[in-house]
Amino acid sequence: MAARAYLCMVKVSARTVLTYRANFVLGLFAVFFQLLAMLYVWRLLLESGKDFGGYTWPQMKAYLLVAFVTSSLVSAYGDFRMAARIRDGLVSLDLVKPVTYQTARFAETVGRAALELAVTFAVAGSIALVTGGIPVPDLPQLLLFAVSIAAVVPLKFLVVYLSTLLCFWTQNYMGVAWARTSLVALLSGSLIPLVLLPSWLQTTAMLLPFASLTATPAAIYLGQATGGEALGLLLTQAGWVTVLWVAGRLVWRFAVRQLTVHGG
Amino acid sequence: MPAATMAVMPVIEARELTKVFRRPDKSEGLRGSLRHLVTRRYTTTSAVDHVSLSIEPGEAVAYVGPNGAGKSTTVKLLSGILVPTSGEVVVGGIVPHRDRIANARQVGVLFGQRTQLWWDLPVRESLALLRDMYGIGPADYRAQLARFDEVLELGELLPVTARKLSLGQRMRADLAAALLHRPGIVYLDEPTIGLDIAVKDRVRDFLRRLVADGTTLILTTHDLGDIEDVCRRIAIIDGGRIIYDGGLDGVKDTFARERCMHVRLTTDVDPQSVAALLPDAEVTPGGSPGEFTIRFDRFVLTAGQVIATASSLAEIDDLLIDEPAIEDVVRKVYSGELELEPAEDGVGAGVGA
Ligand SMILES: Nc1ncnc2c1ncn2[C@@H]1O[C@H](COP(=O)(O)OP(=O)(O)O)[C@@H](O)[C@H]1O
Ligand SMILES: [Mg+2]
Repeated sequence: MAARAYLCMVKVSARTVLTYRANFVLGLFAVFFQLLAMLYVWRLLLESGKDFGGYTWPQMKAYLLVAFVTSSLVSAYGDFRMAARIRDGLVSLDLVKPVTYQTARFAETVGRAALELAVTFAVAGSIALVTGGIPVPDLPQLLLFAVSIAAVVPLKFLVVYLSTLLCFWTQNYMGVAWARTSLVALLSGSLIPLVLLPSWLQTTAMLLPFASLTATPAAIYLGQATGGEALGLLLTQAGWVTVLWVAGRLVWRFAVRQLTVHGG
Repeated sequence: MPAATMAVMPVIEARELTKVFRRPDKSEGLRGSLRHLVTRRYTTTSAVDHVSLSIEPGEAVAYVGPNGAGKSTTVKLLSGILVPTSGEVVVGGIVPHRDRIANARQVGVLFGQRTQLWWDLPVRESLALLRDMYGIGPADYRAQLARFDEVLELGELLPVTARKLSLGQRMRADLAAALLHRPGIVYLDEPTIGLDIAVKDRVRDFLRRLVADGTTLILTTHDLGDIEDVCRRIAIIDGGRIIYDGGLDGVKDTFARERCMHVRLTTDVDPQSVAALLPDAEVTPGGSPGEFTIRFDRFVLTAGQVIATASSLAEIDDLLIDEPAIEDVVRKVYSGELELEPAEDGVGAGVGA
């Protein structure tokens, strides 16, 4: 059964991350130092006494730690391999495998994400402890938060997947990856909380899938969105996952024609 | 057996299969790219040009032709990687490019130049992934690994990461990967390229067994040994067109035009006088007096005419005609020297099939 194949891909890709743990840890280091810098800057800013969207220092810490987790998810070089296979035409070999391309790539992502989650939560937890703690929501809210983090995995996968498919048209994946990273950092709220952005940019972020990537889990964790509002945000995440999943299938079908019809 | 009266259904059927590649005519750099946006000029190549092939279950077909003839493109069309520009292709009742997943289950493909193994994984893990993709049961999987170990000595490769394999090792592992799910139809595109003799022998042995077990095989190769060992039928493609499709023996009749006859006469005869009687042949003196080697084009002279001429000079003591070697033909195919003369005496049945 194909389901077993995808499950096997999940396991194998998790194991691959362990085999290449040096790469994995180095990749996290970059985000980790960025986190330390952000924590430092925000402490100075908040100590200056100015108001930044009403955030207290412990809340801002919690926000930054959530952003650290969400921006570390689905970041481990799977997209570069996919891009390289498209560029070199090796992707044609994936067409003779009895699995759906998008689902197979997603399975690999899930395998890596499981480890990313474990490691980033451990790192975030340690930092929270060392820096004097962060507010912790009650259990129901914590469960909603867990669901919203879980939804980030397929959602971010789809954003990365769709942008990587651009390699069927452009040779320059570095450019695509860079543009995507910047756009996601700004519009997801992982760089700074969306409330601090100009309102037109906030609106843009809310209308696009990006806010679901960081702002949603952060708002749920901090209790800024509770009950019905939180459920609404989760439904929005689910909606985006559905829409982008279908979009991914359509774009793939169109993109692969570059290879199969025009010969790459 | 009703087989004598009923035609066997072909398992691979290509009709007028054509693939035209379109490459943008653009010069280097940004300016070239911009100009292309405006002018949109393309160069087109018919990589595969109205190719028709009909292959019955269990047949092993050698698919040969010079570099760039369209062999790999044909294999990609048959495996559903490419969509034909025109023409039809049906493999095991499936149109490969329409139903890729169903097609993937029934065929095994190997491209010698590219690996299908997961680069970062030990061979064992790649095979386990394929096992799960194809839903192969544990007992069958073990049996397959044992079989591959016996012929390809796969066992020693299982713990090795794919990117650390040598070319020959990689090819052995890739063969296992392509054949793990026991496909009834197998396309191998240059499976012995770059392999040393020992590995080649092993691979050929494996392919022979595969064919003996009833697998339908299309084998693209530069290696004459592969062809003679494994296949009875040969299709020759040149410039995207099939120029011969038929038995291996027929190739000699069709394309090996030169014959070489060694004659020993009972008395010493001047080579010049033999040459004078056979102006269309090349006569070279042999090792001792009265011995000659006569090379002639069998579409110009018959062996009988040559013998009659020689015996008109003196009694023939001994006579030897060299077997035309298929190697010579195939070597000519690959070097692009093959002359395609219509076979005047009608031996060339099968040409342009
Ligand atoms: N993707 C492609 N785009 C453009 N031209 C191609 C492409 N693939 C192959 N060709 C051209 O098609 C012809 C046949 O190539 P190929 O099938 O690879 O030949 P072979 O395998 O017999 O060496 C060659 O002229 C080659 O340059
Ligand atoms: Mg080729």
